[in-house]
Amino acid sequence: MIPELLQPVFVISAALLSIGLYGVMSKRNMLKIIISLGLVDTGVNVLIVAMGYLPGGTAPIENGNYALYVDPVPQALVLTAIVIGVSVMALALAVAMGYYRKTGTLELDKEGVMKW
Amino acid sequence: MVALPPVLLIALPLLFAFLAPLVGMVSRRMVKLYTLLVLILNALLSILLFINVMANGVVYEQLSGFYPPVGILLSVGYLGAILAVLINVLSPVVYLSYFGEAENSVKFSMLYMLVTASSTGIVITGDLFNMFVFFEITAVGSYGLVASLRTKEAFEGSFKYIVLGSIGSAFILMGIATIYGYLKTLNFYDIALRIDTMPETARLMSFIFLIVGIGVEAEIFPLNGWVPDAYQGASNRVASFLSVGPSKAGIYAIARLIFTLIPIMSGFELSLLLGIFTLVVGELAALRQRDVKRMLAYSSIGQMGLILIALSLHSETALVAAVFLMVGHALAKSILFIGSRDYSGGLLRNPLIAGPLFLGVLSIVGMPPFPGFWGKWYLMVDLASRGAWTIILLIVFTAIVEGVYYSRYLFRGLNGEIRTLTKSEIASIIILASILILIGLFPQYLYDPAVMAARSLLGGGP
Repeated sequence: MIPELLQPVFVISAALLSIGLYGVMSKRNMLKIIISLGLVDTGVNVLIVAMGYLPGGTAPIENGNYALYVDPVPQALVLTAIVIGVSVMALALAVAMGYYRKTGTLELDKEGVMKW
Repeated sequence: MVALPPVLLIALPLLFAFLAPLVGMVSRRMVKLYTLLVLILNALLSILLFINVMANGVVYEQLSGFYPPVGILLSVGYLGAILAVLINVLSPVVYLSYFGEAENSVKFSMLYMLVTASSTGIVITGDLFNMFVFFEITAVGSYGLVASLRTKEAFEGSFKYIVLGSIGSAFILMGIATIYGYLKTLNFYDIALRIDTMPETARLMSFIFLIVGIGVEAEIFPLNGWVPDAYQGASNRVASFLSVGPSKAGIYAIARLIFTLIPIMSGFELSLLLGIFTLVVGELAALRQRDVKRMLAYSSIGQMGLILIALSLHSETALVAAVFLMVGHALAKSILFIGSRDYSGGLLRNPLIAGPLFLGVLSIVGMPPFPGFWGKWYLMVDLASRGAWTIILLIVFTAIVEGVYYSRYLFRGLNGEIRTLTKSEIASIIILASILILIGLFPQYLYDPAVMAARSLLGGGP
């Protein structure tokens, strides 16, 4: 199903994801949490692009001579996901700014975001 | 009657939302009226769509000229139609409570229309990635709405929501990627047809990814830690709206996931476990709360757990119960949230406010004849027929816990000096309470569509 060649990609994706999730759970500083969220996003995006990759495939642009090309759908999905990720990050930064103006700190109260 | 295309339900409020700043340039006071009119128009459209679906069956619409499975397909099923009406009819009623406020925020109204449109999008889409996009619009809009009070608590609640929401969306994406990697398709029906060709572990993995990710909006364990903070920090009408729109759209997505998309036995067991855990933890946590809105938020978590239990039982009666619980919860919680203050003292000595709040509490704890009662009743009937006494005991136990903290809420509300809400807030909760009474008096009008929804879901349909 999935070519052997891609295994390192999955390792990279999993590593990015775990680092990001660890950061979100362990940090209390809002900026560090936002950076960790960026890592999580990137990890997932790498995974999706890898899903559509074919060894030796070209870019999915139609030019008459049909060669082997990679699946365009995951790339379209990732483009959408990136745009969403950027807007969420912008919003998160805006909220962090608002929080800073109210409290004078970027540290979250209590034990960070995972506290119930 | 002309069959209107369902896409209007999404497209119109999106268009009007982005025209709102233009209206705001003419007169900021006009924006509220404008938004209310747009929302009412959408409510009428959703009722027309509901009538059409009930008469003619599932409505499909392909977008942008590509045939499925390549193009995006909208499919409005029975459950989708019920929830589309629920969301779009309650959204203007909740918005009505904004009229008494001195502030005229154009951004607030825009976000409100956006979240209404995208929550509706979730319940009428037939494409997995399209559903993800609507989830994100709903989520981003809700983050903004929660933060709109601009207090420390509001920013804190919004930030928690953003963090857990982003992790949830990463999980949804991973689930989508897993399914796409094996099946090369994103269309619900196409996935459902060929889901058996996926290896067992991959199916279970994508199921877990999706249910955890969607569980953020549906307030299901484990990623529901944002709920109490966001509800506490948000203004009353935002908290009220969150329990009407996004959470119902989320639970709809879970219903589609466990019935249409990946209907595997281990999936039902897993969601049953998640539901039980969410119910028990939510209700027990609610018991400890001093703050009214936090208490209501934890109670919401408990109710969503109950709905998930009803969905996971995989039977017609339980699904009817789930529909009644969804409708009952949306109505009752929106009343209670609009009528909540930092503490409830004195509110219940004003009869115009006490009436709706009292009805809301009665429906939540499951007193006849309100929808909350019918939901719990059908759920109990189904559980008893299969002899699941442990779950029955748990539900009875949590109902007692609910009774305890809601009677404390009422008791506190009856003491202290008389306080009041704004006129528009009172109008809003009275309308909501009358809908609650109507459904309580004529449950068959909800029962028949609910049975159709249940049969359609059990048959693998939308």
